[in-house]
Amino acid sequence: MLNDYLTAQKKLFTEHTELRAQVNTNKRVVMLAGNMVGNAQSEKSGVCARVERGGLYGFASGAEYSPESVLSVLETAAENARFMDENIKKGEPPLPKTENAPGKVGLKQPIFSDIPQSVLIDYARSLDEFIAKKYKNLSSRTVVADALYIEKLLAVSDGADSHSFQPRAMVYAWFAAETSDGVPVELFKGFSHVGRFDEFFKEPAALEAQLDELYKNLMDKREGVYASAGVKKCVLHPDLAGMLSHEAVGHTVEADLVLGGSVAAHNLGKQVASEKISMTDFAHTAFGETCPLPVYVDDEGVPAEDAILIENGVLRGFMHSRETARRFGVKPQGNARAFEFSDEPLIRMRNTVIHPGTDKFDDLIASVDDGYFLLKTGNGQADSTGEFMFSVDLGYEIKNGKLGRAIRETTISGVAFEMLKTVDMVSDDLAWEISGFCGKKQSMTTSMGGPALRCDMTIGGR
Amino acid sequence: MNPKEIAQYALDALKKSGADKSSCIAKKSRRDEFNIEANDFTLMRTTFDNSLILTAIVGGRRGVSVINKHDKASIDEAAAACIESAKSSEPDDAFDIAELVENKNFIKPEITNDRAGLFSRSREYIEQIRDEFPKIIIEGFSSTLTAATETYANSNGVIFGTEYDAYNFHSMFVAKDGEKGTSFNYDGASFEKPTTPFIDAGMHRTLLEEAVKSLDTRSVEEKFVGTVIVTPACTDMLWGTIHDNFLGDRAIIEGTSRWKDALGSQVADTKLTFRAAPLNEPHIITGPRYTNDGYITRDLDFIKDGVLKNFSLGLYGSKKTGKPRADTSLYNYEVLPGDVALAEMIKSTSRGILLNRFSGGSPGASGDVSGVAKNSFLIENGAITDAIQETMISFNIFDALKNISAISKERVANGTTYLPWVCLDGITVS
Repeated sequence: MLNDYLTAQKKLFTEHTELRAQVNTNKRVVMLAGNMVGNAQSEKSGVCARVERGGLYGFASGAEYSPESVLSVLETAAENARFMDENIKKGEPPLPKTENAPGKVGLKQPIFSDIPQSVLIDYARSLDEFIAKKYKNLSSRTVVADALYIEKLLAVSDGADSHSFQPRAMVYAWFAAETSDGVPVELFKGFSHVGRFDEFFKEPAALEAQLDELYKNLMDKREGVYASAGVKKCVLHPDLAGMLSHEAVGHTVEADLVLGGSVAAHNLGKQVASEKISMTDFAHTAFGETCPLPVYVDDEGVPAEDAILIENGVLRGFMHSRETARRFGVKPQGNARAFEFSDEPLIRMRNTVIHPGTDKFDDLIASVDDGYFLLKTGNGQADSTGEFMFSVDLGYEIKNGKLGRAIRETTISGVAFEMLKTVDMVSDDLAWEISGFCGKKQSMTTSMGGPALRCDMTIGGR
Repeated sequence: MNPKEIAQYALDALKKSGADKSSCIAKKSRRDEFNIEANDFTLMRTTFDNSLILTAIVGGRRGVSVINKHDKASIDEAAAACIESAKSSEPDDAFDIAELVENKNFIKPEITNDRAGLFSRSREYIEQIRDEFPKIIIEGFSSTLTAATETYANSNGVIFGTEYDAYNFHSMFVAKDGEKGTSFNYDGASFEKPTTPFIDAGMHRTLLEEAVKSLDTRSVEEKFVGTVIVTPACTDMLWGTIHDNFLGDRAIIEGTSRWKDALGSQVADTKLTFRAAPLNEPHIITGPRYTNDGYITRDLDFIKDGVLKNFSLGLYGSKKTGKPRADTSLYNYEVLPGDVALAEMIKSTSRGILLNRFSGGSPGASGDVSGVAKNSFLIENGAITDAIQETMISFNIFDALKNISAISKERVANGTTYLPWVCLDGITVS
């Protein structure tokens, strides 16, 4: 556990200042086609300071963490802030003070002792053997076991000091097979939990049902057909809807990107989606339960609150840092987060979901005469214009309300605020996805989720 | 301790802990960075960091520990953890370290650490944007100066040292006119010294001009099969993908690369030579001088005159598959120029797209790709006409490589890659 060398230095704060000590511990084992090609553990720790002066920030970090190094980064950050202020002369007034901030928010998740690397090694080996034994028609397989712990200690001149611990345990499985004409096809599934690796990943057989499904999907995909290109009626699986909420809408309503020219700038208060769509970036609690990646205080010391983004189809707000909140004249809600000790806080999503609706999932499928059910996405990207693109690794035809043949890899695209207006059915379930990382200058752990959606979508193909 | 002393101490610690073979990379670095958002400076950042990567092989089993501390107690602890994890791992005859051939230091001749120059170039950049491109909004910009000292050493006696400083900028931008806005685009470059205006690097000015032209777009109204001219700015669609998906360790070891048995075969049009070129200065300056496996890097043909010549295998991949090591950089590559001027290439295109950015999924092993053409323009009857919107292109990458109809004489270098314009026929546009 991190010693607190920060609080004692708060007496030196003369301007808006954040001091953060942090340690990121990662363990990772990779089995590739039965070979243990990766077996690595890493620990990166240190301390950073950020000082604001006249609307400009100075930041500094160092790999050592001691009372002396805290003073050193504080001094360098202040020098950098001074340099920027003197040379750029923005002349902004001090940042607004946080109202009703709690003094300090302590650990919500107890810090547990680290686990030996051998726990991940043994698990990855047994999962690989399980897969090799059971799924005979694979041409190759990859298994990854990964544990990531992030502990942060924060002391700020304004807002809430905090101590947080965020553990994440992940297992990934890639299956590969060949079509009858020798073309390789692949599918991937991630399993993720918040907590110690060995609390969740004990016996490979516990994942059997999901692995069976992955294998079946791959065998279907082996016989897959090319999708027919054009605008199609599609049902998006909750996993894909979650990616949609994150990539296609979430990024466009981050206030730094709004200032950078995002299409959302002109749509505040306007109807941007069907009335069936509501979307929130939850801080720590959603629908009465703790979110997968709860954030109670962000890395600027702002107590975290939910950010309501879309309500019944109307764009209601953006996600902010202290600086963008000042520019927009709103209250920051705790979205500024940093990934490593050497990173400055950026506006990041936390637990971003489209709210569940009232339709039954089976009815969504049954309602489509000629379209596609799209389940898995490999990656995705959003644009400032609201245009988005996802690769689709797994999908099925829907013919006369019934699932048909699998399709080969393809891509879906659209303009978020136009596509969301076509949503006419929203399922009443919700699936969270927390196995990925969001990239925006820095990596970041985020969680996303959603129900199944029925909508019109542009699909690639031949 | 300096990195060389740290590396030596770490090798000793690994040996004492029971390593049969070991290697380590010790690095000290300082990085200064200036950030701009929405056309205004926001931050100056200075980071001091250490890194130490320890690799141990014990009884044919391998473990890796990475820390960012250089004190003896931390190194001892990391060495013990590395050995412990190696012992729990699986034995594999392919785990090994580089043999001693020639030890060498690679010291950059002139290390300037010119922070003031970096700031001046950054300020000049945003002033030029405001003056020359008033419709451009810089969504995010960072300029960096990295100064580092590093040592690679292994228990076979290999020692490489390097000391350098490096300058770089990266800019993400859109054009905006009232409520009209374009897709974002991004670009960047690396420099030996901050002597060149950032805006003049590579294709940067062209991309800014094209962003402004993209404020008015046109939809492609009907699906057609035509020509796509891939610009040097669009690096990932072909070159990054080929490298990552079909030539690297994973694809060859797993056997998912369709080229796994194709060495010596014609896999592309004879006009194509695609090669790693980490030593091709001054066009490429970010190329490492030795690999993480402990071998001196070299330039290497992957595809020469359309024939697959080499994979990009590391030491493990090479030993595992029995195919030769690449001993090169995975990120510094070039495509050799063709014999057609860009203007001629455009003139001879009856219907197609000038592709500046491709937003699409990774093709997967099958090579099927589809995605959206971004920041791109329609070519009609031999001339670039309108910027396009919401246009999808679909193709199979293996087929596309065989359908290269021209490669430009002109090439663009950004310090990391050196690429021409490449003309692909038979691409579906919808």
